[in-house]
Amino acid sequence: MANLATRRVLIRASSLVKRYGRRNVVDGISLAVNEGEVLAVIGPNGAGKSTTLELILRLRRPDAGSVEYAEPELRRRIGVQLQTAPIFPGYTALENMRLAAAFHRLRPGDDELLRRLAACGLAEMAHTDAARLSGGQQKRLAIAMALVHDPKLLFLDEPTAALDPRARLEIRELIGSLAKGGTSVVFTSHELDEVHRLADRIVFIDAGRMLAEGSPAALLEQYNVSDLEQLYLRLTQEAPNAVAVQ
Amino acid sequence: MSTVFRTMLIGQFRDPHTLFWTIVTPFVLLLGLGFWFDKPGYAERLLAGVLAVNVLFGPGMVTPFQVMTLRNRGVFKLLRTASLPTSAFITASAGARTALSLVVCACLTAAGCLVFDVRLTLPGLALMLVAVLIGSLCFTAVGFISGNLGRNESATSMISNLICMPMLFASEAFYSLEHAPRWVQIASLLHPFSHFVNVLSDGVRGGWQASTWTSLAALAAFTLLCLSMAAATFRWDNESSRFRILGNR
Repeated sequence: MANLATRRVLIRASSLVKRYGRRNVVDGISLAVNEGEVLAVIGPNGAGKSTTLELILRLRRPDAGSVEYAEPELRRRIGVQLQTAPIFPGYTALENMRLAAAFHRLRPGDDELLRRLAACGLAEMAHTDAARLSGGQQKRLAIAMALVHDPKLLFLDEPTAALDPRARLEIRELIGSLAKGGTSVVFTSHELDEVHRLADRIVFIDAGRMLAEGSPAALLEQYNVSDLEQLYLRLTQEAPNAVAVQ
Repeated sequence: MSTVFRTMLIGQFRDPHTLFWTIVTPFVLLLGLGFWFDKPGYAERLLAGVLAVNVLFGPGMVTPFQVMTLRNRGVFKLLRTASLPTSAFITASAGARTALSLVVCACLTAAGCLVFDVRLTLPGLALMLVAVLIGSLCFTAVGFISGNLGRNESATSMISNLICMPMLFASEAFYSLEHAPRWVQIASLLHPFSHFVNVLSDGVRGGWQASTWTSLAALAAFTLLCLSMAAATFRWDNESSRFRILGNR
């Protein structure tokens, strides 16, 4: 694994601000997504994690700040799984995969799509109406759809939320194997154990501001805590007076 | 784009909204009203009316739910990160709906000819085809407007009914407005469905009449207006609207 400092920056977000009414949901966040790294964005509910991801993905327009991609084509090499599973109700899991591939102008055969569904633990659900899948299965289908074009960079918004322990494990293994294969992964999560195991780097956000950033080991050392849960509790307690990381 | 078109077309046959509004309702209307009002000349009016209602209910009443569902599920967001332009996806989806409308219209026309002895001419059929194509485009745009404005199922249902039902009643789809109040007659000129019914009626009666051009031009103008409004009200998600949105999240 390459040293974090030497990795090429794929996306650089600078001083992002997003307001809803008078409230700054994202308040001056700057961060870089590096090639081949697993970046975890953590923080309490409503901290601005999902909005930050959507700003980086250019799904929302920031009120201030900018997002730069290392290369224009990168935008088409991004896989996205947002909190709501973007499935077509009334269509089978396999048909949803076919449509997701068509969104990237691809026409893989059914064998290829079935193999990808199987990789996300949905082989037996391939011919089931996607709307009838459980919440966890829909999430796995959304991840399979996000991977259909072999993305270089993958954004996962709470990929393991609402999943049973086995499914969580499978998704973690999937993220691990993607990272080993060179895919950059950005994910949000409330599972701090999972974050510690998977992430090369963590960005901690609260109230729209970035409070801490670094590798898990560096953060634990910097804040003199034994695990990420302690760090989380400490940062959220300090948040009102905390100085945002520049 | 062809994959989207094919998959969406197949999927429509499994969609209960589509089956009810686009397939079951027009056939029940045609056969029910046709046998109930067994009067000379009524079968032609009925066939034109049922064809028009089929196009109104399919794209106009089913499209809003699909647009709202796909938006709320984040499919439009997903499209923004993909290489297929959203316009291509919408064209393929609307194309699939138009193809279904054409197939159902063909079946309804065949039923009208076989069961009620309606006689059609080739120029008349050509005019009906043109009308159904433009009408499908127009009412798909109307469906998009309803879907764009509604935030949830009940709001979307209310909006699409508020738009489509007055158009249905202020038209000559199933009855003449000759003795209707003057304001109803004027109102019938101010929406696309009336003109659509007029063009279809001319087609069923044998082809171009003196008023056909006027109705066709009005239908085309309304189609452009509705497409513009659909594009102006389109939104990627529930947070990105420039317009007032009805319904809770």
